Amino acid sequence: MNVRTLKDRTAKGLMLTMTVVAILTVVAIAVGLYLKSRPVLDSQSLSSLLFGSQWRPLKGQFGFLPFLMGTVWVTLLAIAFALPISLFTAIYITEYARPMVKRFVFPVLDILAALPSVVYGVWGILVVVPWISNHVAPHYVDFSTGYTVLAAGIVLGIMVLPLLVSLFIEVFSSVPAELREASLSLGATRWQTALRVVLRRSLSGILASSVLAVSRAMGETIAVLMVCGCVVGLPHGLLDACYPIPALIANNYGEMLSIPLYESALMFAALILFVVVLIFNLLSRIVLYRIEKQNE
Amino acid sequence: MIEVKKLNVHIGDNHILKDVDLLFPERSITCIVGPSGCGKSTLLRTLNRLIDSTEGVRIDGQVLVDGEDIIDSQSDITELRRRIGLVSQRPCPLPMSIYDNVAYGCRINRMFKKRRELVVHVRQCLRAVGLLDEIKGRMHTPASRLSIGQQQRLCLARSLAVHPDYILADEATSALDPISSKTVEDLFVSLKDRYSIIMVTHTLRQALRIADNVVFMYLGEIIETGPASQVFNNPQKELTQKYLSGAFS
Repeated sequence: MNVRTLKDRTAKGLMLTMTVVAILTVVAIAVGLYLKSRPVLDSQSLSSLLFGSQWRPLKGQFGFLPFLMGTVWVTLLAIAFALPISLFTAIYITEYARPMVKRFVFPVLDILAALPSVVYGVWGILVVVPWISNHVAPHYVDFSTGYTVLAAGIVLGIMVLPLLVSLFIEVFSSVPAELREASLSLGATRWQTALRVVLRRSLSGILASSVLAVSRAMGETIAVLMVCGCVVGLPHGLLDACYPIPALIANNYGEMLSIPLYESALMFAALILFVVVLIFNLLSRIVLYRIEKQNE
Repeated sequence: MIEVKKLNVHIGDNHILKDVDLLFPERSITCIVGPSGCGKSTLLRTLNRLIDSTEGVRIDGQVLVDGEDIIDSQSDITELRRRIGLVSQRPCPLPMSIYDNVAYGCRINRMFKKRRELVVHVRQCLRAVGLLDEIKGRMHTPASRLSIGQQQRLCLARSLAVHPDYILADEATSALDPISSKTVEDLFVSLKDRYSIIMVTHTLRQALRIADNVVFMYLGEIIETGPASQVFNNPQKELTQKYLSGAFS
């Protein structure tokens, strides 16, 4: 065996090992979380854990519904907020903007994406929370501190915005120029081309990017924790406070662990998050597969 | 009629088309020939202003389509493009069904009020390119499932559907197998009674087979132009003679 072949095989073996390690880490996390959750799973039924809304750790009652709903509300609101804005931004940049604008926008997006989430949180406290408390909430409720689902949704939406815009720009840029030209040469305007050809062709990419953004939004902790209010209870509207799962874990892990089952309950919360993201990703894979199959 | 007057196209620092003066006769096939990089495609893309999307492009001169200068910023570019169909090098079906590909331009241009009229029109266009019988029952399946040759004919049908006056073809048969290539070539010949066809080709034999008029370009300039029989049998310029004899390609 000559030296080149030896190097090639060594490199292959090394990369295989690293790949296996990377995958095993995920499996190890899942197994670890499950084992740590066992005590709370043994003490209560799965349905009462997932769908119970009583959160009384001292009495051993752990109902995760308020936290689950908090996560769902905030994530949905963030995506509902970020999706149209990022779609239009990306369409503008890929279909309309002059090269000079693009050269300006890309670094700005990178900076926005690289900002630590605590900065977004502080901005939320300084700007979004008072705005909701003073200008939005008075129209609908008697009093609100501003620390609400709405504040968390807006801050989180702005956080995932640069990610979504970057991803959508990638997706739209991968649509062949010939396709656009085919549409334009039939007398279509750029807007018609973007809407009927570029968006249509990018459907699977848009979906995949959105899933990535949702997964990111679900797990986002610090910025949300700073503006969501962290009040245990089922949120009934955008102006209620909420308590998403990552905030619950970050706020409480390491404290109050003297309470029996409390650590196990927090680990179970992490497991829920893990499983939800996993299921979400699997579902999107199935949908993507279907779309691609349809377009073949 | 399309008339090009003193057309100069720069892309960045490169002078791509130099003082181009040309007249494309109606109801005939004009083939633009010349070696790679001589500006054939740029000329074609200037005729329907698709060149606009190229970064750093600058156009001077006039392109008169039925007397209207399309380089003028006031001209209605979408209407212009509707009147000038394009068949590109590689077949490029839109990401939709066969039917929707042909109906696309009609819908965009609001050509029909009733759905039934559109259906009839789409079928006519598909028949005109010989696809209707071949795709029986598959009208609403994705266009990408057609063979490459069929896709190119679909693209031609799509162009015909919006009633263009001119058809631009940019090496439209170069990606096809010989049989499909012949089919598309024959189609162009059959269409020349109704449309003015301007075709870029790098295959001299193809130009010889189907061209009524030939334009020979070299390094962005028009070297020679005239009826195909004259240019091929009795070229006036030395460069044309060299090109035809295969001295360069």
